Amino acid sequence: MKDVWFFFKKELLESWRTYRFMILAVVFLIFALMSPFIAKLTPEIMKMSFGDSLGIKLPKPTSVDSWTQFYKNIAQIGIFVVAIMFGGTMSQELSRGTLINLVTKGLSRWAVVAAKYLCLVVEWVVVVSSAFFVTWGYTVYFFPDSRSPHVVAGFLPLLLFGLFFLAVILFGSTLARNSYGGLLFTILVMAVLYLVNLFKDAQNYNPVSLIGDNMALVQGTKDLAKLAPGMAIAVVATGCLLGGAVAVLNKKKLA
Amino acid sequence: MNNNVQVLIKYLPIFIPLIILELALMVTALVHVLRHPHYRFGNKVMWIIIVVFIQIIGPIVYFVFGRGEDN
Repeated sequence: MKDVWFFFKKELLESWRTYRFMILAVVFLIFALMSPFIAKLTPEIMKMSFGDSLGIKLPKPTSVDSWTQFYKNIAQIGIFVVAIMFGGTMSQELSRGTLINLVTKGLSRWAVVAAKYLCLVVEWVVVVSSAFFVTWGYTVYFFPDSRSPHVVAGFLPLLLFGLFFLAVILFGSTLARNSYGGLLFTILVMAVLYLVNLFKDAQNYNPVSLIGDNMALVQGTKDLAKLAPGMAIAVVATGCLLGGAVAVLNKKKLA
Repeated sequence: MNNNVQVLIKYLPIFIPLIILELALMVTALVHVLRHPHYRFGNKVMWIIIVVFIQIIGPIVYFVFGRGEDN
């Protein structure tokens, strides 16, 4: 356990010194600020560019539009920024041989995987929660309506999906030879999950629903319990991927 | 024109943090460009221009693709 703690501290320091954490935080905060802003401004921009020639009357933006923007940004861009940032977390150590010294001095390999995953999770939770609270604050300020009552229920699946997604990144990164391999693996997994989502029966079992159905959850048209199978599968898959990462790392030559 | 100023004042609570974030990102990237003269590709002038003039995306591209290895 002590090994995990020390390697965890090293990982945190590394992501701070390489500016990874800062970039991630800034990108997510920018998304958080832009979401209510874009929602508020879209009708005005349309009005400015089309003037009175626009036949239809645009509905007034509500808090629902703000949250839609938020989940769209995070699900379509945010998580891939995470993948780009952390796609090399393990493969870089392997290609540079920076693990050799530590492992020959007695650091167990599972501790490397555990500490890296823990570090990724901490960073994800901090970054995405701060973005969430910022959007929440601005949405309440700019859109004082009651159209999105279950704000937290929409956010929890996203948080959980992050845990699954990080496990995918870590496994891909352990498997791959360079940082782009890890990224490619992550994109492939996402592509497969989105393809599976085309089948309606599979949707509640698919982890990708955790970042797709957030708006239904926020508005209260879908119950969080409906997604329970998807959450369970995400948790089990996370466990399997981490176990797989340890197994792959055990077989790998370190340089 | 008057309309634009009104919009600016109305959304000041969003603009201020947004500008601070962009500036913070730009300054950190600029300092890094100036202090680490080795890049994976490109040269110093190119990276300074990218980092300063392309908001948000520029610094991120620099940190992800342009930064050389620290030895």
